[in-house]
Amino acid sequence: MTVSILINQAFSGLTTSVFLFMAAIGLSLIFGVVRVLNFAHGSFYMIGAYCAYQFSVYFGPGNASFWMGAVLAASVVAFLGLLVERFLLRHLYGKEELLQLLFTYSLVLVFADSVKAIWGIEQVSVARPPALSGRVELAGAVIPEYSLMVSIICSFLVLALWLIIQRTRVGRIIRAAAADRETTTALGVNVTWLNSSVFAAGCFLAGLGGALVAPVTAISLGMDTEIVIACFIAVVVGGMGSFWGTLLGSLLYGQVLAFGILLMPEFSLFAVYALMAVVLIIRPHGLLGSSEAVRA
Amino acid sequence: MTRWRWLLVVAIIGVALVPLSGARMATFLATDVAIWALFAVSLNILVGYTGLVSFGHAAYFGIGAYAMGLLLKNTTVPFVLALPLAGLLAAMFAVLVGFFCVRITKVYFSMLTLAFAQIAWALCFKVNAVTGGDQGLPGIPYPGFLKYFDGVPVIGAFDMGERFHVLVIVLVVTFLVIIHRILGSPFGRVLTMIRENPGRAEFVGVNVRRYQLAAFVIAGLFAGLAGAMFGIFNRGMYPDLMYWTKSAEVLIMVVLGGMSRFYGPILGAFLLLWLNQEITAVTEYWSLIVGLSLMALIFFLPGGAADLVERGRRFLATRAGRAATAVVETRTRNP
Amino acid sequence: MPANARFSSVGAILRTIAMAAAIGATAVHAQTGPIRVGFPIVMSGSGAQFGIPVLKGAQMYAEEVNKAGGVLGRQIEIIARDTKLRPDEAVRVARELITRERVNFLVGTFTSAEGPAVSEIAKENKILFIAPVPATDRLTAPDALHPYVFRVAKNTTTEGRAAAELMSKWPDIKRVATIAPDFAYGQDTTKSFVDRLKQLRPDIEIVDQQWPKLSEPDYTPFLTAQMSRKPDAVLSVLCCGNFDTLVKQAKPIGYFEAIKYKMLALGEAGSVETMRSIGADYPQGIWGNTYDAFYWEGPKGHSEYIERLKAFTKETEPSSWPIQGYIAMQFLVEAIKKANSVDSGKVSAALLGMTIASPVGPLTMRSKDQQANRGQLYGVAIKDPRYPFAILDPKKIINIDPSKFMD
Repeated sequence: MTVSILINQAFSGLTTSVFLFMAAIGLSLIFGVVRVLNFAHGSFYMIGAYCAYQFSVYFGPGNASFWMGAVLAASVVAFLGLLVERFLLRHLYGKEELLQLLFTYSLVLVFADSVKAIWGIEQVSVARPPALSGRVELAGAVIPEYSLMVSIICSFLVLALWLIIQRTRVGRIIRAAAADRETTTALGVNVTWLNSSVFAAGCFLAGLGGALVAPVTAISLGMDTEIVIACFIAVVVGGMGSFWGTLLGSLLYGQVLAFGILLMPEFSLFAVYALMAVVLIIRPHGLLGSSEAVRA
Repeated sequence: MTRWRWLLVVAIIGVALVPLSGARMATFLATDVAIWALFAVSLNILVGYTGLVSFGHAAYFGIGAYAMGLLLKNTTVPFVLALPLAGLLAAMFAVLVGFFCVRITKVYFSMLTLAFAQIAWALCFKVNAVTGGDQGLPGIPYPGFLKYFDGVPVIGAFDMGERFHVLVIVLVVTFLVIIHRILGSPFGRVLTMIRENPGRAEFVGVNVRRYQLAAFVIAGLFAGLAGAMFGIFNRGMYPDLMYWTKSAEVLIMVVLGGMSRFYGPILGAFLLLWLNQEITAVTEYWSLIVGLSLMALIFFLPGGAADLVERGRRFLATRAGRAATAVVETRTRNP
Repeated sequence: MPANARFSSVGAILRTIAMAAAIGATAVHAQTGPIRVGFPIVMSGSGAQFGIPVLKGAQMYAEEVNKAGGVLGRQIEIIARDTKLRPDEAVRVARELITRERVNFLVGTFTSAEGPAVSEIAKENKILFIAPVPATDRLTAPDALHPYVFRVAKNTTTEGRAAAELMSKWPDIKRVATIAPDFAYGQDTTKSFVDRLKQLRPDIEIVDQQWPKLSEPDYTPFLTAQMSRKPDAVLSVLCCGNFDTLVKQAKPIGYFEAIKYKMLALGEAGSVETMRSIGADYPQGIWGNTYDAFYWEGPKGHSEYIERLKAFTKETEPSSWPIQGYIAMQFLVEAIKKANSVDSGKVSAALLGMTIASPVGPLTMRSKDQQANRGQLYGVAIKDPRYPFAILDPKKIINIDPSKFMD
């Protein structure tokens, strides 16, 4: 086994992590603030991918049209999320948590058939933006340019989200809400507004994740339940509601998968579940999670 | 209340003798509902009584089913021995998993049960030589002793599937009575206390973790027994039955039926299976209709189907001029 | 628990009985009237894209027979149910179709888990069951075989061996790698391929075997691991829509260039829908297989079949899958005619050794293992200006008849 193989696996693991993080961060954000474990997060991700496909059909191939399509797709998903939160989910706040969970599960069922009714049963695909269809070679490893670009976008996203959470008023409210819900309400923060906007933002991120993954995967029915379980693992390993935790969880997931495949391909299927179990046994609140952030 | 007890006995005998109606579909539905009812009630020991939400309950169901399938297919072990063995194996896995899970709380408990269940699923999916991989174990035989019932009146006229139905009803009722007894015992009341306030339970000297572990193992045991029967009913066992979506389904049954009542999950099992059967028979868009039905139930019947039954019952009681009784019963609501 | 809980359980159980009785009463009794064919097949989720076309092929054949006056003077009615790609659900709907819909026959199922699961139900109820897609050898293996199960699909042995025959003739290959989804179909086909290839070409070494899980979202780590072993040629068994994802991820990392496009892609990677869905990205020069192709210049009757299919599905470039539903129904109807009965036992006897003139040529149901000698089309992917996606070069398509390497 040469060094270049190791680098290759590390980079492909990193690519996995980047796409996973894009999907998982919204789930973590929603859980941290709205306190809802959103099973439908994968559905929002799937709808994002299908919308990206739709926009790519409207706009045709091209660099600008791809990125515009991705942002538009994410916006559509955010709007859909806002509708769900405003008209349905809102009425379940303060009720039995299992009801909220069941509600998001029923959303999975409804969205699955809606997507089938709108886009049909055949798989669809989105072409990579032409400018990013090549690859770069780095220390013997091959990395697709597109993945590299998404990694860069992801890094900016991490930075931007961190700045928002650390430096802005909105961020302070989010942090306060994540840490202690009751006090935040007592301090006069408009919780209704907070929940709606965080839920919509989480959906925006899910939609963006789906739109950006579209060129590297087949867009098909059923991609919703596949991604949501991976998101759960990433979020739980890192610590639910923890921003850096989700990043760490995604990174670990990618590396465990990549090296699991290299070292014991027969058992790569449960390497990631084993990761989740081991982390939870050793650190009950995830690697970077705090016990206060858990109420649900 | 003896009048009601007698009615219950009559009803159970009625369900056991559904095959007499000649409607084979009804027999299948009744067997299916009975097995899932036991599975859902076993989960409710954790969710409704102890306050622990397991996302991985399908693992124990699956282990029971695989154990039963392997024993009946590959060995000469009879059903009467295979059933307790299957339950025991599931319970042993529950001891192992529960040992780690009860150490953590809330959503992390749920997630750890999920992780272990997915590991169990992946194992059953991977260990081809034993479990048959994704193709599972088709062709699990019916219990051999059922063929000796030829001369018995009524049951003698039933085919093997119908005899198995009677056996399932007898076993499920027995297990439900046992669970009911356990939950009604002082042990069960400690579980409720832990759900209401674990801190207080600890304070009065209850070893919370030990009780939670006991509940976890009992739940796993009965889930394993339900799975063992399901493997035979389904004429085969497949890893899909251990995937997290199955754990979600049984949780839906519990919530839909009403977790605050012993019989809630039984109603939930019936509702979900019946809805699924009728809707898939009409449209390929079952997922949309089931999803919308679930939403409607969540918004209009948040206490579950059991809540509706309770309301109807109280309404009837009031009308019969027994308002006083209703008030007493409301006060002694359990759990 | 206080007595009131017991009190209400009575109501609950009474309701169950009432419902059950109502369901029993609505059961349809159909001894005369149309011949009823139950069709359990996946119609939702990721499998819908294959299951629904198979169903359409069957419906088209039924419509053709019905327009021509039916069979034994009776019309054919197909009653379809979604199996959700789950064996337990397939068992449930098969039972529902038999007991409530009173179907005379079962045709359907998709996966290698669903097929054997429904076969058990067919056996128990003595209802003839024809599987149009499941590929597992276990469906018709000697210990699982019973008079009521038949298959008109390829199986893993024939597909693996056909691939080995084909690849053994490729010059200059010494190092072969495989990539297959980690479930029975992928494992068994790969094993059959490797065993046969070692017999035909003892000089070839299997240098790497990758087993991504079914519907793996990210193949990059598998592909980079495989490239590091420097294979000369690769066998892919990625089926079920997974090949699309592999291609999209393999292309930018230069995977196909590294293996010089020497790939043989099984699992219907050459089907119209797969090639359409991948579009311009489809790696030209690789070999793919498919059950059918609308552009194939097949035997007599094939082009007419395609024209009828286009009219029936209202598609100009119809799917490769309807042929499987069509052939299954054709075998069934021909056997009903021959048996002059809708009794499953008699139809089963009639099917043994029966040959039909299908749109893809004559097919025979072997009486030995109740498996039709169904092969597949193999061809090289090329770009064709007439279509917006790649096709298998129509001039080089080989229709491999598996008869000579079936046990």
